[in-house]
Amino acid sequence: MFTSTLRLYCTAVQRLVAFIGRGVSILMPMIALVIAFEVFARYFLNKPTIWAYDLSLFLSGYLAALGGAYAQQRKAHINVDILYLSVSANVKRIFHLVSGALAIFFMAVVVLVSIDKFNEALNFNYRRMSEWAPPMHHFWMMLIVACSLLILQIISDIINDLYHLVTGRDLVPVSDEDAEDDNGN
Amino acid sequence: AEHNWRFANLYTRGTAFGEVYGNLAKNIEEMSNGRIKVKMMYAGEGVDTKGILGAVKSGLITMGATFQPMNAGELPAGIVEVGLPGGTADVGELSVLFHEKGWNEVLTKAYGEQGLVYLDPYIQPPVYLLTKKEIKSVEDFKGLKLRAPGAYGKFVRNLGASPVSLTWSEIYTGLATGVIDGSIGSNLIDHRDGNHVEVAKYMYRLPLAGAQVLPVFVNQKAWNKLPDDLKAIVKAATAVHAREQMTKSRLWESEAIADMEAKGMKWSPAPSAEDKAAWTKAGESLWDEYSAQDKHSKALIDILKKQ
Amino acid sequence: MEIELLTGVLLLCILVAFAIGTPVGLALGGIAMAIGYSTWGEGIFNIVPSTFESILFSFILLAIPLYIYMGQLLTRSGIGDAMFNASQLVIGKVRGSLAISVVGVCSMIGAMVGIIGAGIMTSGSIALKPMLERGYDKRLALGVIMAGGGLGILIPPSVPMIMFAASTQNSVGKMFIAALVPAVVTIVLLVTYIVISCKINPEKAPLGTGAEAKMTPEQKFRTLRDGLLSVLLIVAVLGSIISGIATPTESGAIGVVGAIILAFFFKRFRFGLFKSAGLETAMLVSVAMWIILGATLFSNFHLLMGVQDMVAGFTSDLGLPPLGVVIMMQLVMLLLGFIIDEFIIVLMCAPLFTPIVVDLGFDPIWFGILMILNIEIAVQTPPYGFALFYLKGIAPPDVTMLDIYKSVTPFILIKLLVLILCLLFPDAVMWLPNKIMG
Ligand code: NA
Ligand code: NA
Repeated sequence: MFTSTLRLYCTAVQRLVAFIGRGVSILMPMIALVIAFEVFARYFLNKPTIWAYDLSLFLSGYLAALGGAYAQQRKAHINVDILYLSVSANVKRIFHLVSGALAIFFMAVVVLVSIDKFNEALNFNYRRMSEWAPPMHHFWMMLIVACSLLILQIISDIINDLYHLVTGRDLVPVSDEDAEDDNGN
Repeated sequence: AEHNWRFANLYTRGTAFGEVYGNLAKNIEEMSNGRIKVKMMYAGEGVDTKGILGAVKSGLITMGATFQPMNAGELPAGIVEVGLPGGTADVGELSVLFHEKGWNEVLTKAYGEQGLVYLDPYIQPPVYLLTKKEIKSVEDFKGLKLRAPGAYGKFVRNLGASPVSLTWSEIYTGLATGVIDGSIGSNLIDHRDGNHVEVAKYMYRLPLAGAQVLPVFVNQKAWNKLPDDLKAIVKAATAVHAREQMTKSRLWESEAIADMEAKGMKWSPAPSAEDKAAWTKAGESLWDEYSAQDKHSKALIDILKKQ
Repeated sequence: MEIELLTGVLLLCILVAFAIGTPVGLALGGIAMAIGYSTWGEGIFNIVPSTFESILFSFILLAIPLYIYMGQLLTRSGIGDAMFNASQLVIGKVRGSLAISVVGVCSMIGAMVGIIGAGIMTSGSIALKPMLERGYDKRLALGVIMAGGGLGILIPPSVPMIMFAASTQNSVGKMFIAALVPAVVTIVLLVTYIVISCKINPEKAPLGTGAEAKMTPEQKFRTLRDGLLSVLLIVAVLGSIISGIATPTESGAIGVVGAIILAFFFKRFRFGLFKSAGLETAMLVSVAMWIILGATLFSNFHLLMGVQDMVAGFTSDLGLPPLGVVIMMQLVMLLLGFIIDEFIIVLMCAPLFTPIVVDLGFDPIWFGILMILNIEIAVQTPPYGFALFYLKGIAPPDVTMLDIYKSVTPFILIKLLVLILCLLFPDAVMWLPNKIMG
């Protein structure tokens, strides 16, 4: 029962993070399109927009921040693996626990201050400084979501590591979904 | 020290303006006999220039000096405070506006709402526009692509130009290659520092706004911890700072002009009376727009209209 | 806590976190917040919003996603390879010729981008795969990418150069021109090194498999045509910058549109390719940005605690001869590369050091070029440097950090040689700008 609850949690987080991580990649062509349009509007129509500058920044901010959890899931974040590669799998798992605790602490800090900023942005109607002046509150909400996803993903990784340390078995068998993405490489 | 403060400003270490802010920090320390210790944070040192306002609100930085257009979305009244396009350059007139006609009270409230104590503002030289081509009449603005953020963007659009959003570090390249035809700088000294005259020669005679009024503010909680005598000392030090800003910035402005002229800067011809009228009109039409956006802006502009 | 002690504690924590393999960005951010909390209290958490806002709203950094995306589209559609296939058709018989073509392509990319991250990750996206596929030594390939990508801040336009000129009131144009000779010297030395090291170790750079020789004339023609068209895209992007159509950052978007058009033209456009390029770019961008976020948080905390005063105190009153002072400053900047990024090094050191150097009778433009050369080295010197992490991000999964360290070492030495040459022979830097601008 306990094991299946853990497994359910890990699978659910896996799906959620992968869904959002893959979803935000659609922002990439949008960023390019927005900026290309701005260049077109300015150079050929002599009518620069007031929105392209901020919009492209919002989109890239969303892309970068929300992709963090998916990168964690795919073990894509960069680490210095000199000692790390030379230790056994179980020592690695213990290392993960320490790293995970530090990362969760960091992300929790970001979530907490972002909640404050979100409320402040709502109360005072904070906007970007530009003529377009789009509201800022959703950016802080996005950071709350992005960092919470990272926390969920790291907790899932920690559960997997702990489970393996205690039982010697994998909690969730390595899924085929991971392999699927690598085809493009 | 009894009070350890951090004071952030927009200028880099070692620049002339940076030194003036450094002197304010030093003065507070000296005048308080070391009871307040002030650590200067220059541009790029810990807090991004646009983030100073927020950092002082939260108490990360105790005291800040900023350029209000950078925070137009957070504290819209600051845009009116710094000087709307078409505003006055008369220092005496500005002083009356702030100290006698009630701007200080309105701004104290606007900053106070966000957890900031508004100290005596100071005056810096006005905003000017640099263009690649000579501007012979206001008509020449039609179709020009000008890097002019926020309020200044709306102003140049009223003159028929197209405001372009461009990040500061791309202005030089943008002018050199012709992505933009001109750019405004926060004052003539900044134009000199950015070396923009190398790639755009013509300075327009009329400033976009008159003199600029800039704020110094302190985190509310840190301020409340000060006993009355120290509060008085900080206020006295900001008054000294305001005078130093006034005298030094005038001197530096004329030095900057000389430097730029030596590098080939030219002034566009003096505008005609009609040009001046068109210029003022382009500015005034923005008043109502800003008034409608924010209650403190409205209070400030109402006072301005009564003059 | 004294700043010296604090710096020691911070560096120690980094070493431990790096040793146990904590992701770099999360480690740096987490350490800054944890140490900050224990020395300052929870007030330090307020450093997060201004840091995150300034990084995520930096238009300059948008060059990173745009140029990587362009690179990914070119590579995945096979257009990028066409460039190298064509070069192999022409100079394939020269050992190491592919690496030499890569240096050439990197130089062109360097002329488009103005920041280090975009230079390295774009060069890596386009040029790493062709080298590895042809059996080039992994380390040689990675080192070439790093050395070539780093040219992004040495070949104009360059954001750090603009920042240097502004904060010391010097001519940007003069800086840009002064960088040309050192850039050419660097490129020549890189090519020389590649040729010599491939002569000594031929297995590092296998000659073509002979595929080119077996091609029919029609295939040869097609390869050359495809290669030429893809080079044309780079030329077009460069042209859009020079002709004032777009800024260097925006031109990345023009490159993306151009790459898509070329893919259609070559009938290589598939929706799957479009999707996988987007996914891969998103991942790379996210990884790079989280490193920048954590590292900036770390350096902002360190700056708030006063590391800049430590640097200022360190270089004054040492009683060294003039050139000794300049060398000391170079060492300080190399060390700063451990903890802060290219922009902050310039913002902090340019106004601190330049007046001293000018007082000693040196030319500020010369010193500025030394600073740029230095930063190029500082950000890729092991164990810690942004550029190292960017390179690992773009490298295949089996590449370890140790591979990266080893691969960059000879190229760092070359760049150090250029720095020393420019230090000892100021005329090499100043001759061209003095001739052109007087
Ligand atoms: Na460049
Ligand atoms: Na380094």
